[in-house]
Amino acid sequence: MAGIHIENVTKSYGQLSVLKNFSLEVSDGEFVVFVGPSGCGKSTMLKILAGLEEASSGTIRIGGRDVTDLAPGDRDIAMVFQNYALYPHLTVRKNMGFGLKMRGTDPTEIDKRVTEAAKILGVDHLLDRRPKALSGGQRQRVALGRAIVREPQAFLMDEPLSNLDAKLRVHTRAEISALHKRLGVTTIYVTHDQIEAMTMADRIVIMKDGAIQQIADPDTMFKKPANLFVAGFIGSPGMNFLRATVNTNGPSPAARIFGYDVPLRIPQSFAGREVILGLRPEHIAAGPGAVTFDVMPRLVESLGSEKYVYVDVPVENRVEAARTGGDERRADTIIARLINPDERVTEGPIKLSFDPARLHLFDATTQASIE
Amino acid sequence: MKSGFGLDLARPSRRHWLGYLLLAPAVLLIGLIIIYPLIVSVDISFQNVNIARLDQPRRPFTTANYERLFSSPDFWNASWITLKLVVIVSLFCFLLGLGTALLVNNKFKGQAFARLLVALPWAVPEVIAVVIFAWMFDSSFGLMNWVFIKLGFIDTTVNWFSSPVAAFAVVCVTMIWKGYPFVSIMMLAGLQSIPDDFYNAARVDGANAWQRLVNITIPSLMPVLGVTLILVMLWVFRDFSIIYVMTGGGPLKATQTLSIMTYEQAFGFFKMGYASAIGVVTLIVCVIASRLMIGRAPDNI
Ligand SMILES: Nc1ncnc2c1ncn2[C@@H]1O[C@H](COP(=O)(O)OP(=O)(O)O)[C@@H](O)[C@H]1O
Ligand SMILES: [Mg+2]
Repeated sequence: MAGIHIENVTKSYGQLSVLKNFSLEVSDGEFVVFVGPSGCGKSTMLKILAGLEEASSGTIRIGGRDVTDLAPGDRDIAMVFQNYALYPHLTVRKNMGFGLKMRGTDPTEIDKRVTEAAKILGVDHLLDRRPKALSGGQRQRVALGRAIVREPQAFLMDEPLSNLDAKLRVHTRAEISALHKRLGVTTIYVTHDQIEAMTMADRIVIMKDGAIQQIADPDTMFKKPANLFVAGFIGSPGMNFLRATVNTNGPSPAARIFGYDVPLRIPQSFAGREVILGLRPEHIAAGPGAVTFDVMPRLVESLGSEKYVYVDVPVENRVEAARTGGDERRADTIIARLINPDERVTEGPIKLSFDPARLHLFDATTQASIE
Repeated sequence: MKSGFGLDLARPSRRHWLGYLLLAPAVLLIGLIIIYPLIVSVDISFQNVNIARLDQPRRPFTTANYERLFSSPDFWNASWITLKLVVIVSLFCFLLGLGTALLVNNKFKGQAFARLLVALPWAVPEVIAVVIFAWMFDSSFGLMNWVFIKLGFIDTTVNWFSSPVAAFAVVCVTMIWKGYPFVSIMMLAGLQSIPDDFYNAARVDGANAWQRLVNITIPSLMPVLGVTLILVMLWVFRDFSIIYVMTGGGPLKATQTLSIMTYEQAFGFFKMGYASAIGVVTLIVCVIASRLMIGRAPDNI
């Protein structure tokens, strides 16, 4: 077990810069998740940690030891691959014991450790099968088993759940978390799924185009997103964004949204600046409240326990789609997520309300959060 | 509802009819060009025929051809030569083919050109390859004598085609040169179908280059390897033109394989019955050998 120290790592393929100045301190036993859209450089960073790719610059230390120029096999880490990379010509037992065998471990010791790991993961009855005779979930466990028999200093996992179906994914997610609690080994886990990140991580590293956007625990990530991208990426459905210009028509600075002046808790100096207001769908309630507005829903979706109300945004409040970090949602709609709604919300005009204290404020040009 | 005798091939229970229907022309053609000559040659091998003519009445059934064959030292000599040739040529084709495939599978500048170079001998017609090698090993103005003398391996020129051992070696070299690109191409295709993550996982597990070759590359190539091996062995077994053009089976029958012997008996001495018997034995050996090897192939992947 060991901490991992990443300092100013960059990576470029020719002209293409894939990682920009990546620095991160992972403490011993921590579960850190790298999350971000596809192609943002998560796998590349993981491969650099594993020694499978060379960093263009920067240093990496694992357990205090500089491993920047060490072969993968000498770093004492284990990796779980997205498609598991189980060798088809070897039995599950031999697959799991492969790493130990390569290190010249005593065969009886290998057998003992493999049996033990197989018991932990519930695959002990499959040890003499070939990978092709296993289901997706079983293969996934064997891949995990291959990592844990080595008893390495750290686990690196690259989207290990993305080949499973939705139900199994939720189940295995919980199992990996439990396994991490039990073994306490430092783990770096890569995913593009923000729900996996939120549920499993001690700390999340959110990335976009090779640059870290924010490093924080899941709650902070949700409550205090550092910028527009993080705000839009974390949470489902994603945060609603509205464009407005700060005015000082009233006693304090305010922004005009849906035709109402909403007071903002920002200094007077912001007057005239363009801002983007973020409001999470679950922070919009049915019925009157601190700020109430009447709308005509475009669409109401019912999920049983909750309802999604889609509302058209007035033209002056629309944000160009590019601003919200490539979120595929249409910029001309906001979503209200009404939990345990009563039957009133159906067709026809309704009253929605929100608490202005729940608003997130972002600078329209830099996209950074305004505190 | 019409319950006539419509031939509705889309019905699930009839679907296989369509398959048979489509296969029929191919089956007929194969029957005509492969099975028929085969039957004729088996038939002839049991008759005392010199020049086979289909319009002549059958000769009486006899096993004399086979009796003569199995008691003939020439036949056993040719079998031994063939076996030696198959083993040596296949082995070296494999080593060279796998080696070159591994080489050109790496990423480097000029990789496409290197691949082309490796595959080149494959595209050269056999007879032309023989002419090139016959010149290289020519006793008076060949390249090899000159090279070997310069390197100090020999002090007088060797007459390659009059020494049995040297002639056999030259035939081997020519066949290896002509045969390894096929192995190389097949291995390259096999190598490219191995996922990168197998190697990545092995590297993380601490396997060095040799361990990766032995534990991942070779086992992953096994299925392709088996089929390629059979094809190469069959090619060596029945190849005729290289040896015939190069040595004609000589000197002193040192390069007389079963196919050369078959040809010689049939068209040199016009003993068609006897030649057919050799051909039939060759065929049986080939079939048994490939059956054994396919049966042996590991059932992974
Ligand atoms: N070998 C390579 N050569 C060139 N570009 C690469 C290579 N590997 C990855 N990339 C690029 O690097 C970027 C990051 O890739 P990756 O780390 O795999 O993203 P992800 O976050 O989806 O795992 C992508 O834009 C990809 O096209
Ligand atoms: Mg990836």
